[in-house]
Amino acid sequence: MSPCNELILSCDEVQDTKLLSLISSILLAQGNKKAEVSAVGQRIVKLLEGRLPEGQSSRHLLPVLSNVISLSPVSLTEEQTNVVSKKMVDWLRYASIQQGVPQPSGGFFSNPRARQPGPVTEVDGAIATDFFTVLSLGQHYTEDQWLNMQAFSMLRKWLLCYGGEGMSTPNSDDRSEMDGSVMSMVSTTSTSSHLLPPKERLREKAFEYCQRLIEQSNRRALKKADGELQKACLIEAVTILDIICKQDSSYVYRTLSSLKILHDRISGDVTYARALLPIAQFFLNHSEMAAVDSDAIYKHLFTEIPAQLFHNPSLAFEFIQFCKDNSQLFTDTSSIFRQSFPNLFKFLAWNSPPLISEFVDLLPFLLDAGTAIEIFHLLLDLPCLTAALDIQLRSTSLPASEKASCDPAVKPATCLEAFRHPLYKSMFQYLLRVEASPEDSPERLIPLRQLLGSLASSPRVVQCADTVPVLLELFFSVVTEFADKLLINQLVLLVLQRSDQLYEIPAFKDDVYRVLSSQLLTLCKLHPALIVELSKELLEFLGSVGNIRNKEALYTHMVWAIGEYMSVSYDKRCTVEQINRFFEALEAMLFEITQLRPLASIPNYAPRVITVLMTTLTKLASRSQDLIPRVSLFLSKMRMFVQSPAVTSVYCEEDREEILIRATELMNLLKMPSVAQFVFTPPADVASTQFQRDTNESLPFALRMVSRLLEGGAGFMPG
Amino acid sequence: LFRAPGAACLRAAAACSWFCLVLVSFSFLRFPGFVTRLLRRGAQQVDSQCRLLQAAAGRAAAPTLPQLPDEPVSLQAAPGGLFRLPAGDPFAEPATVVWLAVLALGFALVCDPHENLPLAESTLRRLAQRLLGSLRLLSPGSAALLRADSAEALLDRFLPHGQLLFLNEPFVQALDRELGARAAR
Repeated sequence: MSPCNELILSCDEVQDTKLLSLISSILLAQGNKKAEVSAVGQRIVKLLEGRLPEGQSSRHLLPVLSNVISLSPVSLTEEQTNVVSKKMVDWLRYASIQQGVPQPSGGFFSNPRARQPGPVTEVDGAIATDFFTVLSLGQHYTEDQWLNMQAFSMLRKWLLCYGGEGMSTPNSDDRSEMDGSVMSMVSTTSTSSHLLPPKERLREKAFEYCQRLIEQSNRRALKKADGELQKACLIEAVTILDIICKQDSSYVYRTLSSLKILHDRISGDVTYARALLPIAQFFLNHSEMAAVDSDAIYKHLFTEIPAQLFHNPSLAFEFIQFCKDNSQLFTDTSSIFRQSFPNLFKFLAWNSPPLISEFVDLLPFLLDAGTAIEIFHLLLDLPCLTAALDIQLRSTSLPASEKASCDPAVKPATCLEAFRHPLYKSMFQYLLRVEASPEDSPERLIPLRQLLGSLASSPRVVQCADTVPVLLELFFSVVTEFADKLLINQLVLLVLQRSDQLYEIPAFKDDVYRVLSSQLLTLCKLHPALIVELSKELLEFLGSVGNIRNKEALYTHMVWAIGEYMSVSYDKRCTVEQINRFFEALEAMLFEITQLRPLASIPNYAPRVITVLMTTLTKLASRSQDLIPRVSLFLSKMRMFVQSPAVTSVYCEEDREEILIRATELMNLLKMPSVAQFVFTPPADVASTQFQRDTNESLPFALRMVSRLLEGGAGFMPG
Repeated sequence: LFRAPGAACLRAAAACSWFCLVLVSFSFLRFPGFVTRLLRRGAQQVDSQCRLLQAAAGRAAAPTLPQLPDEPVSLQAAPGGLFRLPAGDPFAEPATVVWLAVLALGFALVCDPHENLPLAESTLRRLAQRLLGSLRLLSPGSAALLRADSAEALLDRFLPHGQLLFLNEPFVQALDRELGARAAR
């Protein structure tokens, strides 16, 4: 992007490495229109190949090279990559193990008796036992030691790009098409290793370097920052070994045994937990080939780690990424991975904001006919899980003296006491379980939910609660893909049942009802016959006024569904008796909520409840025409209802208008029973036009049409 | 700091709700819209993640910056975390963001999804600590400015061309000495 074409920046003649580094920044940002990336790459290799002038350092070049191969791996020819590979072998394996000298600050006579620097040390202070690595310490470093550190820092990328057969980009999926079954034809013993081609030689030296790092990670670092570096190095080493083994499977056997030893060494140390993930990944990738049983590793990873370390946000994030990277493992129902989903949700329950988007990706893999019900309960109880985890954490940090067991006869005063109380202990244990375990009677958690109510306003619990509606929607969208009629019926019943058994966070309950209501309709649409099959339970639900008050959305949607699907056109088993039974139940409800009791105030039910009830009753009447007079009578009384003083004080004018208009329209429709029947119960094949699908729009429209027709008048034009 | 995955190094300091520091290297001047989107999106996310984490942990939101600390601030207990940026928003490929909040400032480092995240975290802490040292407060409680040249030098050594380095303590000290020597000049 030069301001003028004559002004061109080129790296071709640059000898100064620092200058080259600076120029490269500009050139690499050009977007490779004129092969700038390639030019930079060429120049760097040229400089690395030759002897640098005095005072110049190759240090500045390697990061640029790393960038070059990210942007355009094809910039380097095979010959050039061989040159660099050879250099990397030298830097990685043959760097000096003597410390460097400090830059002279004084004059020529500064200190003639300055001590010769000693050998480099390990992180625990011991003298270095083997070749120099990034975990070797010295007061000052030599040039080749700097290059050792930088070469290792870019090693992973280099191997991904140029280490296998052919070339791939360093950002490509590790599980690329590298054919792991290609055996190296060349012996990899050290004595003849100098005969290996550069790529294979680098692979061998990289292998040795990683093994050394693993061994060095066993030492106790004197400085905390070096201890952290040890862990990062360990993770890098295991990852690079994984890449090496993919590129040459002859390394697998050696690596498997040392990684198994490593795993056993660190599996009990929570500070090393993050390293367990690349180790497990390695075994997933390679243990089958070597017929090694690595189930113990996976079991430990999935049952112990989430339970102990759910509160570590970095681990939580990486663990879920690991699950996503290996999502195919979850499709096998019996596997330890799938069975441990309750443990996985602990990560989400505690670290909701960063992990919700990850779980949206992961959840579909956890769901099938076998897990759907249990996951449904789990999602509804996710905020409870957060609260329970909080208590668990606080309980484990109590001093032993306070952990005395409780008197079963005395009710616990606090949540913390309840954690060990015999009454609540098993409930906590169920909620905090590490493995899938379907619960036959979910109502046994009711006391626990009530107990945890004191934590319902804690920020972490609320953050978790915010994620539940999203997950519920996703749950249903996935489950409806595979659910059979049996599962659909089960879910409908559970929706109704659980609507009474939710954690008491007000906004949470409203959101959940909102989602469950619309999902109820989806389920009914999928399997309309459920209205008939579950009529007993539905009648029970619809017959309770408390349900109107507390779960209005759910109730309204259910009523609408009855009106829509309770008909022989959806299920031949739908009898007139059943229609009448529902009619009576709903009529009683409508009567209950529109009754004008003297000296009592009208509870404020939303107008929508009233209109939906009226509409559904009308629909039912259109199918069992003996009921028409009853409905018409009821509807005619709505004018009185709407105009009464008690109602005018509670409902606004618009709402009252709406109720009245609807009542009138319905009454008019009932005056033409066969039209009513058609409008309300179209034959199934008609029910697929836009109007029919768009049920919220079409019915009022239809009603208005009919009303206008009836009211007649010259000049009435449809549409 | 944003180091774009797979692309040339982007050196931009970012962001928090209280104030946003923008320091954009010349490399990205041709993508002004991109940078703004990146900073806004990244800064938004870091800000919201930080608030939520603080709230969940029961800590009050950090106050505005009345004055710069005299001693080096310990970052061990500083809130921080990881989250993912999905593909397309704003990078073509998905990216992982490592973030850290100190006083009223947020720092973020953008990584490829499979980079060495523990290394990224310690690198970010190291950088944040030193960047705090080169902040200049314009007036108490309002905007602060990062001394561009010292920030650039710092990034050039600790994150050269966006490359994460496996630096043990002596290496870090050597780089600090180089920075000090440069500053003295």
